[in-house]
Amino acid sequence: MRLLLIEDEKKVADFVARGLRAERFAVDVAGDGPGALQMLAACQYDLVILDLMLPGLSGSEVLNRIRRERNEVPVLILTARDAMAEKVAHFEAGADDYLTKPFAFAELLVRVKALLRRGPVNRSSLLRVGDLELDRLTQQVKRAGKRIELTAKEYALLEYLVANAGRVFSRTMIIEHVWDQSFEGLTNIVDVYVRHLRAKVDDPFPTKLIHTVRGVGYSVSDSPDT
Amino acid sequence: MNARSLRFQLVAWYAGLLTGCFALIGLATYVVLQTSLVGALKENQLRRARQICQLVLEEASRDGEARVGEQIEARYAPGLNDRFVRVTRSDGSVLYRSGRPKDQAFEPAELPAAVWPARSETARQVALGAGRRMLMTGRDVKTPGGARYLVEAGAPMDEVQARLRQWLLFLVAGLPVVALAAIGGGSFLVKRALSPVDKIAASAERISSQNLGERLPVAQTGDELERLSIALNHMVDRLDQAFQYSRRFVADASHELRTPLTVLRGELESFVQEPQLAPEWRERLGSALEEVERLASIVEGLFAISRLDAGEAQAEWVRFDLAQLAASTADQMYLLAEDKRIELTCAASKGVWINGDRARLKQVVVNLLDNAIKYTPEGGAVMVTVSAIDSKAVLEVADNGVGIPPESLPRIFDRFFRVDKARSRELGGAGLGLSIVKSICAAHHGNVGATSAPGDGSRFRVELPLAAQPMNNQKQHDHEH
Repeated sequence: MRLLLIEDEKKVADFVARGLRAERFAVDVAGDGPGALQMLAACQYDLVILDLMLPGLSGSEVLNRIRRERNEVPVLILTARDAMAEKVAHFEAGADDYLTKPFAFAELLVRVKALLRRGPVNRSSLLRVGDLELDRLTQQVKRAGKRIELTAKEYALLEYLVANAGRVFSRTMIIEHVWDQSFEGLTNIVDVYVRHLRAKVDDPFPTKLIHTVRGVGYSVSDSPDT
Repeated sequence: MNARSLRFQLVAWYAGLLTGCFALIGLATYVVLQTSLVGALKENQLRRARQICQLVLEEASRDGEARVGEQIEARYAPGLNDRFVRVTRSDGSVLYRSGRPKDQAFEPAELPAAVWPARSETARQVALGAGRRMLMTGRDVKTPGGARYLVEAGAPMDEVQARLRQWLLFLVAGLPVVALAAIGGGSFLVKRALSPVDKIAASAERISSQNLGERLPVAQTGDELERLSIALNHMVDRLDQAFQYSRRFVADASHELRTPLTVLRGELESFVQEPQLAPEWRERLGSALEEVERLASIVEGLFAISRLDAGEAQAEWVRFDLAQLAASTADQMYLLAEDKRIELTCAASKGVWINGDRARLKQVVVNLLDNAIKYTPEGGAVMVTVSAIDSKAVLEVADNGVGIPPESLPRIFDRFFRVDKARSRELGGAGLGLSIVKSICAAHHGNVGATSAPGDGSRFRVELPLAAQPMNNQKQHDHEH
């Protein structure tokens, strides 16, 4: 998979490229619009990550040119401005997704994978982490063969974490997926739900599956806490 | 009418001055009239007294006192003319006294006795009873034989008094008429002069931070009011510029802050997930990341407020049931309350329809509920109510928590204001939640207020305009953009 990252802020480009390469993507970086258009003409990319604030040729203009040349490559927009009207305008101009800075890298990764039709990896109706089983059809949860009763929100939270097992999710991401944007800034709610979830899923069992990564968020995995 | 309004004061001054002038002029004319009428009467009577003195002198040189009375009667007939004449000797005895007048206006015998004057000619007023008076003049006469007499000539002042009374009556009757005319004319003039002021005030009232682009209508009259509206418009211009500057500043600052925050967050996150990292380092990096997170949420909040205050187009503008939104939101936050053993109840009668951005108004409910739950101790109660009151949708969030001190109450919607700084920081707020609530309410043409009694909880009240009719969504929608 070959990705083109168009970002003029070198430090942002560096850590994004590094992170994506660690996920075994091939990443090319372009620092401005004209350079990006040359690279797009020279090479076939699977995904473009486009920063809107570019010197010379603006990100919007780059997006327009990509689409004018009938290039259907998925485009994920990064921006430091998140006015609603702007968001709508860019979706209309052919952007596939939109991410506002400062973003958590994990979120960028989830969105990149979604755009590449690769993730969530596990599409089957049965999700499994260690001895924990989730049936997406019946929304039933079992651990070590025993039924665990969860409320709808608890189930949604657990399913989100289990479907991306091993990945750390920020509270903001969890809120956006399990609740909605209105709860943003209210990180407390995630902590409370995770605590309730732990009481049902982890407490009765010796192996803990739900992990807290301080400063980042939560993850579910059967590897022990580091 | 408001007693402190300019209109009232101007009319009062105008009417007062006009009526005062009228009263002053009336009083002056009264005094002048009185002086001239009394003066004329006095002059008349003194002339008569002098003539009689002449007569007394003539008689004294002929027949002595004997025919004085007879001569006076013959020549002047005072009784028939309703006049009074008296001649008194120096020993006080009366030589002659005119008879009772034809109109019975006075009783000559009952008039006070003569008073010898210090000067040769005098005039005095004698009361006749029932408010009537007589003007009495006197003249001293000395015969060559050495006898002295006091000749008095008098006339009732009835006519003078009547004319003065008439004038006074006219003045008293005229005063209220003049006052009424002054009030009527004055308020007409003042109203005409001030009606543009009302218009200017009404237009100025409409201009808020949401529509600083609007200007006052300027009537090309060339008068002071045109100057006033132009001056006000210039002021709005300057305000507009200041607002735009501060909005642009916040937007630019948010934007400039985001890039370094992205880098900081990205680098720290990749570090903290490094498997070989020592747990102590992981803790420290995690703590740093939490602060980055807080910084990011402050930047987000500021940016959101600046966009809302700039009146930026809402993401969506739909008609929906506020009661239903509040109920479902309270439901979603139930666990947060339960976690602190707080009883969260929602009394929302269905069908309180409003127009607006659902997601943003949901944020209002979320922020108010979060706030209430945060500042209510364990075992407390939080209550949400939604109702329609007088064409307004009213959302109330009340708690029985710590309450807000009265001196903090006016400032709780200010950015970064915290009642208890240490405690709020511990609870992880950015100090922007209520400011965002206020901005969202303002963007929906509503308002939010808070009341509180310390120790007895606080009550937040949001008022939003009710949706007019079910079917004109589209119109509302167009109107708002």
